[in-house]
Amino acid sequence: MELAEIVELVKGTAVTPPDVAPQVSCAYSSDLLSDVMGHAPEDSVLITIQNHLNTIAVCTLAGINAIVLCHNRPAPDDMAAAAAREGVAIVVSPLSQYAAALALSSLPPASR
Amino acid sequence: MDERQRQPAILPPPHPSDDEVIDRHTAIPTTVGGESPLVIMELLQRMKVRDVMRKEITVLSRRDTMSRAQELMRKNHISGIPIAENGRLYGIVSVDDIIRALTGGWIDDLCAKHMSTHLIVLEADMPIAFALRYFENYKYNRFPVLDRHHQLVGLISQRDVTRALLYELTVAINRLESKAAPDNPAPDDPAALYACREYPVVHNDLENAGKAANDIKRLLREHKFDTRLARRIAVAAYELEINICIHSFGGSLTFMIADGKATVVAKDTGPGIPDIVWACQDGTSTANDWIRSLGFGAGMGLANSKRVSDRFDIVSVMGKGTTVTCQFNLPAGTGADTAAPPPARQGA
Amino acid sequence: MNISKVAETLEGSVVAGDSASGREVGAVVASDLMSDVLLVDADEMLLLSSLASDQVVRTAHVVGAMGVVIHDSKPLPASMLAVSEQLGIPLVSSPLSKYESCVRIHQALESEKNG
Repeated sequence: MELAEIVELVKGTAVTPPDVAPQVSCAYSSDLLSDVMGHAPEDSVLITIQNHLNTIAVCTLAGINAIVLCHNRPAPDDMAAAAAREGVAIVVSPLSQYAAALALSSLPPASR
Repeated sequence: MDERQRQPAILPPPHPSDDEVIDRHTAIPTTVGGESPLVIMELLQRMKVRDVMRKEITVLSRRDTMSRAQELMRKNHISGIPIAENGRLYGIVSVDDIIRALTGGWIDDLCAKHMSTHLIVLEADMPIAFALRYFENYKYNRFPVLDRHHQLVGLISQRDVTRALLYELTVAINRLESKAAPDNPAPDDPAALYACREYPVVHNDLENAGKAANDIKRLLREHKFDTRLARRIAVAAYELEINICIHSFGGSLTFMIADGKATVVAKDTGPGIPDIVWACQDGTSTANDWIRSLGFGAGMGLANSKRVSDRFDIVSVMGKGTTVTCQFNLPAGTGADTAAPPPARQGA
Repeated sequence: MNISKVAETLEGSVVAGDSASGREVGAVVASDLMSDVLLVDADEMLLLSSLASDQVVRTAHVVGAMGVVIHDSKPLPASMLAVSEQLGIPLVSSPLSKYESCVRIHQALESEKNG
């Protein structure tokens, strides 16, 4: 799935530069960074409210390309800068995590 | 009990009962005989030192003489004079100090030299229950009272407490008697509800954090509070409980229902919040990854508790602690189901 | 949808609390941050979380939730089961991810509504 489609489905706004436009192939939802490290697959989009610099660090380690920040939680400057640097797209969405998951439901879950 | 916190100092003493749950009572006054003691306990919590203390007090400065103190004591029939300048308390001269000065021959010396400086003080915001405990523990006849900014604002004696309590008890008992009267229709007035519970909250004890909020929620459910109102109150209690647990050195959570209001007070013993406006913003947090991994530290605690409250107050003094008060107005009919059967209504 | 149906839909089981409470799902919230859950003003919430801790159950009780689902077959501490029993909050353990649970619950709620 293209980033542009994700932005549209979650009614969100990309806060990273336009050249950060990854493809994603599945979705994962969590606010626990250790959980993301342990379970989220590569090339997934992470649905979370963790608007924190460490989220980018974990995404980079786990090979996650895109983050949907729910409830319009803003990405702090240091987080946005790190995301741009690491090529992780951030989409800020007004939806809840549940609603965002439903919006992206055409994506398969992470294989277990 | 932490020995360090027990030492007499010029700072207001800490919570004297950090290590015990004071489950005062939860009761709806229905009969006079059965519930009166509960009303007294509630009064002891509800009435604050500031409501009882004498505010117009005789004060001398450090540069006044002991003989001046003696003269004022005799003239005003008082047994102790605080030595203070610009609201800052330096000591107390008591009758004992005067007697020693007379026998020792230093009655013309300055108060600064002979006043008692090892002071136990009370805080204006403390419940009367604390004051009574201090009278019992320290055997002093009076305590100076300081406000949150450590300014001397009054003096409190055992007699002041007794007088105020007698007055309030008379009022409370009159109210109970009028409710007990059979010809008096059962009220659906939330002002008739009483409850007061206090819970200690220990720093970093995440295993037990939340127990107070759960207990409060249970209480509200038992009293048939509207589910939304109960949720708002419980949310504030929970956020504040977790805040004390994570961010402070420890403290207590107090929950009260009185006078048609529900109040949650979270009080900790430090370290204090440097920037309250920042801390109350949504999404601001000083939590570390360990706390985040436990599902907290999203930086929404204060903002959340403020959002659900009808009235929100926060006072924080660096190095001393933070007190957060969330108040909720109880609409008419709140808890009416348990207070008594609602009065019969005719028509639709 | 009651809690037994939730467990069935999510290929899991009710591991603590009353499985026959009769309470129906009124809203669904997926989160691991408790402050986020406390923000939601909805009755009879089903809480989907990955956090296996007592605090999730305590939070659920505070907001009046009808049940809690913990995902990825995470091992649940004994204290969590005890708190769940004590507060009467049914607890479901599911092997699914939280994302998949969201999608499945939604589908099940929709099909219940339509048929």
